Amino acid sequence: MTHWLHQCWSFYARLTVRFPVVRSIVPFIPVVAFWAIVAQSGVFPPAFLPGPLDVLKSFGTLMYKGILPDYMLDSMVRLLVGTGTGIALGVPLGVLVGLSERARKLLWPLLLFFQAIGDIAWLPILLIWFGFSLTTMTVVIVYTVLFPIVLNTALGVRSVPVVLSRAARSLGASPTGVIWHVVLPGALPNIMTGLRNGLGFGWRALIATEIIVGTSGIGFMMFDARRAGSVVEILLGMVVLGLLWYIVDSWVLAPIERATGQRWGLVSSQQ
Amino acid sequence: MKNLSLNHLSKTYFDPYAGKHVTAVSDVSLSVNQGEFVAIVGPSGCGKTTILNMIAGFLPVSGGEILLDGQPVSGPGSERGVVFQSFALFPWKTVLDNVGFGPKMRGLSKAECDRIAREYLELAGLANAAERYPNELSGGMQQRVGVVRALANNPEVLLMDEPFASVDAQTRMTLQEELTRIWQERRPTIIFITHDVSEAVFLADRVVVLSKGLVLKELNIDLPRPRVWDALMEDDAFKAMSAQVLQLVRSA
Repeated sequence: MTHWLHQCWSFYARLTVRFPVVRSIVPFIPVVAFWAIVAQSGVFPPAFLPGPLDVLKSFGTLMYKGILPDYMLDSMVRLLVGTGTGIALGVPLGVLVGLSERARKLLWPLLLFFQAIGDIAWLPILLIWFGFSLTTMTVVIVYTVLFPIVLNTALGVRSVPVVLSRAARSLGASPTGVIWHVVLPGALPNIMTGLRNGLGFGWRALIATEIIVGTSGIGFMMFDARRAGSVVEILLGMVVLGLLWYIVDSWVLAPIERATGQRWGLVSSQQ
Repeated sequence: MKNLSLNHLSKTYFDPYAGKHVTAVSDVSLSVNQGEFVAIVGPSGCGKTTILNMIAGFLPVSGGEILLDGQPVSGPGSERGVVFQSFALFPWKTVLDNVGFGPKMRGLSKAECDRIAREYLELAGLANAAERYPNELSGGMQQRVGVVRALANNPEVLLMDEPFASVDAQTRMTLQEELTRIWQERRPTIIFITHDVSEAVFLADRVVVLSKGLVLKELNIDLPRPRVWDALMEDDAFKAMSAQVLQLVRSA
């Protein structure tokens, strides 16, 4: 029995090497199957728990109508703008806090204080200031993305061995040169961790904000579907959220990590 | 012509764990001629690495002065190349870019940096490793890169801080022979820190024995060059010299 299982596993392992996409699909088969069985069994009325096929059909319809692509694009653009701004502010701030003892002493208490006021906690006052607008959403996402990036960048900067900065200095690098050639690449694995966490939180904050603020986007779609009593569209929204995140992770974040920290031997690669 | 001189150099620092000031270097004076190979030996805690870090400009001096060609030294500078015990190669740069880093910081073109880097990699027998990353090399190869990276900047003084302490014994002997060969070809001034007595005697023109932050004794090593281990290992003069230095270090 164990021998047979072992053979099955090695067959699967070979298959994933030849067709990497298998690795992304196979783990979902039991989940979707379980969902289909429960939906089919009639324990819940179909309007309460539609099956995978209904959701797929709804996906087709909404894609065809152009609603879903528009909403996905809106959500992604918001995430991208928010994250881009978060990186542009967070990395320099993290480098400053990581390098300068004075900046750390002055800014650290503030960082901890404002980090604790979670993203959504800002919404009431942002709604008063900026109304139901893109500005409100962007501020929430930037706010959410910012802290993990700042804190992890600072950590990364401080973990770069001092001997590398010394080596660069004695080879003629200016202080700016040291930041560019030593501090930033040395901190990159931590910056990536911050970005990964930030994006994850930002993604959630975006959906929550869209539910409250939204006039479009995946979060808005789901909440709008609730009003219309369309469970299919709510489930579709959930599936799309998971899929989009999976794509961002495996097409953007993971390749960057493979090409940098793992390639340089700073981080061990996961198989 | 005197190249590098240390005048009454001292270093004290505050140890927050002991809660008091500690003297690492009390009073060290030393002058090193251009092109000379000087080894500084001494037991752990004798202040040898502190001296090197002050010459490199990584640590400020507490007293005395360091003059290079008559000019006081302040802060790190490319005229003083450093080779570190932990190699200190940039993991995110290829071997070629590591060696070309100094020339790049001098503002040379990419093509010129690559040309210089390849020339020095050739010198160290590393031409084939140019495109690889440091973590893909053995310790011995990494330190060869460390040495030629410092040399590629054409420094007046090469400061070496126990550079071969973390490679295996066989590789160490090869590296020592290569270093004397490269030194004879290029003739940089070298200050070489080590706690290995035979290494100091094998490499240097002059051995400085350090003890408790003071110079205990300076010895000239007038063994013929080129020096190779096969010849020197059983050489009576070498053995006598090593024994003498060892005795000084142990009494230190």
